[in-house]
Amino acid sequence: MLAYALLAGVIFGLYFSLVGMGLNLVFGVMRIVNLAHGDVLMLGAFAAFWLFNLLGLPPLAAAPIVFVVAVAIGWPLYFLFVPRLLRARDPEMLSIIFFFGLSQVVVALATIAFGTNERSIPGRVLGSGPVHILGQSYPAAWVVSGAVSAAAVVLVTLYLYRTRLGTTTRAVMVHREEALATGIDVHRVSAIAFGVGLGLAAVAGVFAPFMMGSVRPAMGADINITSFTVIVIGSLGNPLGTVLGGIVYGIALMVMQSYFSSWANLLPYLLLIGILLIRPTGLLGRTLRHA
Amino acid sequence: MLRKSLGALCAILVCFSGLARAAEAPKEIKIGTLYASSGNYAGVSMAQYSGLKIWIDRKNAEGGVFVKPFNRKIPIRLIAYDDQSNTATAATLYNQLITQDKVDILAADFGSVLTSVAVPIARDHHMLLIDQTGSGATFFSKDNPYIVLTSLPVSSVWPKYLAGFLTQEGPKLGIKRVAMLYATNDFNGTQAATLRDAIKAAKGAVELVYDNGVPTNTTSYTVTINTIAATNPDAVVALGYVNNDIAFLRNLQDSGIRFKWLFTIYPGLETEAVEKNVGAKGLEHVFTYVPSSVVAYRPEFGLSLSEFRAAWESRFPDGKVEFGFNSVAGYTTGLVLEKALASTDSLDQLALRKAIVGLSGKLKTIDGAFELDGATGAQVGEAQPLGQVELDEHGHLRFVTVYPPELATGKPVYPAP
Repeated sequence: MLAYALLAGVIFGLYFSLVGMGLNLVFGVMRIVNLAHGDVLMLGAFAAFWLFNLLGLPPLAAAPIVFVVAVAIGWPLYFLFVPRLLRARDPEMLSIIFFFGLSQVVVALATIAFGTNERSIPGRVLGSGPVHILGQSYPAAWVVSGAVSAAAVVLVTLYLYRTRLGTTTRAVMVHREEALATGIDVHRVSAIAFGVGLGLAAVAGVFAPFMMGSVRPAMGADINITSFTVIVIGSLGNPLGTVLGGIVYGIALMVMQSYFSSWANLLPYLLLIGILLIRPTGLLGRTLRHA
Repeated sequence: MLRKSLGALCAILVCFSGLARAAEAPKEIKIGTLYASSGNYAGVSMAQYSGLKIWIDRKNAEGGVFVKPFNRKIPIRLIAYDDQSNTATAATLYNQLITQDKVDILAADFGSVLTSVAVPIARDHHMLLIDQTGSGATFFSKDNPYIVLTSLPVSSVWPKYLAGFLTQEGPKLGIKRVAMLYATNDFNGTQAATLRDAIKAAKGAVELVYDNGVPTNTTSYTVTINTIAATNPDAVVALGYVNNDIAFLRNLQDSGIRFKWLFTIYPGLETEAVEKNVGAKGLEHVFTYVPSSVVAYRPEFGLSLSEFRAAWESRFPDGKVEFGFNSVAGYTTGLVLEKALASTDSLDQLALRKAIVGLSGKLKTIDGAFELDGATGAQVGEAQPLGQVELDEHGHLRFVTVYPPELATGKPVYPAP
């Protein structure tokens, strides 16, 4: 039972790495908190649902489409809103308020458009029957979702560490003003990161029907709490810390569900409090050096 | 002179009595309620709210609802706010309906969670709470006259036939080991407690080999299903809300694990929503309650199931709110109010309660026989037999009632192939 829970935790954790990755990338580059992150995920889930039901497009084909559309939407959204937020005296607080409002609008519009009912895509479209790993059986939909999440994490890593754009992105993450002073087009880099952040959330949404049972317009709030837990465990502003955060969260959740199921919903909050008390910078965080 | 004065006095008295009568009869009956357009309970809450609206629309189209104390029909005004499935918001809005809007009738939102906050508020304000589907047993006590449950039985009554089947028929079929999983809320927790007590009372006929709760917002059950399977149960009872049941049944289907006997609540209650998400094949052989949205009771008052279904599809053709038991529940609330207003002595809250309690055993609606425990206000009628979902030759769902024997329409399939 423990082995099953641990391996399930890794698969689930990989998925939650993807869920948190976009939020952390946006925070790392722009120092803004996107409280509409869960709602972008929800929109991605509904996009996958409609692409499957109207065009018969399976999630694996829908994922790249949804990603490109989200990036394309993120680009103008960045220029419309983010520079204004960044000019404020306290951009982090203002972004929380702004994106909270945006989240409410998105949920209301989605409710009007899609109704309030649960929606999902049959698990068989990602493979029929269970998949056997190390002597344990897991739903094929879980394994595929976990594998896609791992692939997305690898691609983000390559983008950040193996491309010129990634190098400039990391430079902006370290110090926005210094990056600007060295001639980096900070807004272009940030706009791409913002779009990629939304794209990652939307791709996570494509696989949400398989990992979360079903999707509905109001699911974003719960996703936000989990995403924040994952990125705080890993390290705020460090996208790769998100992977560790996701796996720690996934394993802890599955072990709790196996042995103390009634208490499982306390887990995000317990982990958040624990990490903030013991290691406020997160597991991969570095102590800040003040000049 | 005297005759003139008497005439004037009579005229004044007639005039005043007319004015007094006009002042007594309200221009409208204000019904206050809440609904959730978003959040965990949105789908079911909107179905219940829409069912109530159908009744109100029909009555207003007829010129209003007949109110006995005024001996005439009075139009209904619905005052409804969106609590977004949030209990804190709901508490504020229930207060607003009572203290600001001064509604004549207060109806609760869907289910035990959103009703729980209304119970003390209504009691404190001496306002009768028309509890539509909040069936938590703790809501009902002899010292609180300000609540009546209209549209489904109190939670402790729900598993009556489920427990009866497992403890009486189960051992005959070879069911000895029962696993029970429940969402930790009043609705499911009360049912779990009733079933647990029934199994204990059966004195070893069956045993509980798994008995655990999960948070109501649980959406991932794969690990839990594996844990349950490890206990090698003959029967599995999973008690949750519709989102729990959808996630559980989907995860079960994907996991490749098959339970020999499985019960969940919502395949019967919200059949369309569950079928859309799980698929007909995923529901085959699943046991469930057979509610009034499936059983065509012969109503003695109000629309029949087919007529109500037609009215629903005409009113909500876009399908954004799905038809199910909670649609029937909302409409039933309206029928109970209609009957009560037609027999109450006044609009006083305790008089209304007396009128509603007076309907007990005399009212048969689309929802079955209305029977109240007069001491607590809990619904003890409208019982839901145990059924099993089967597929017909076209792959469509059909419900086979398997227990109690007097209502049974077929034999249970055990073990599920």
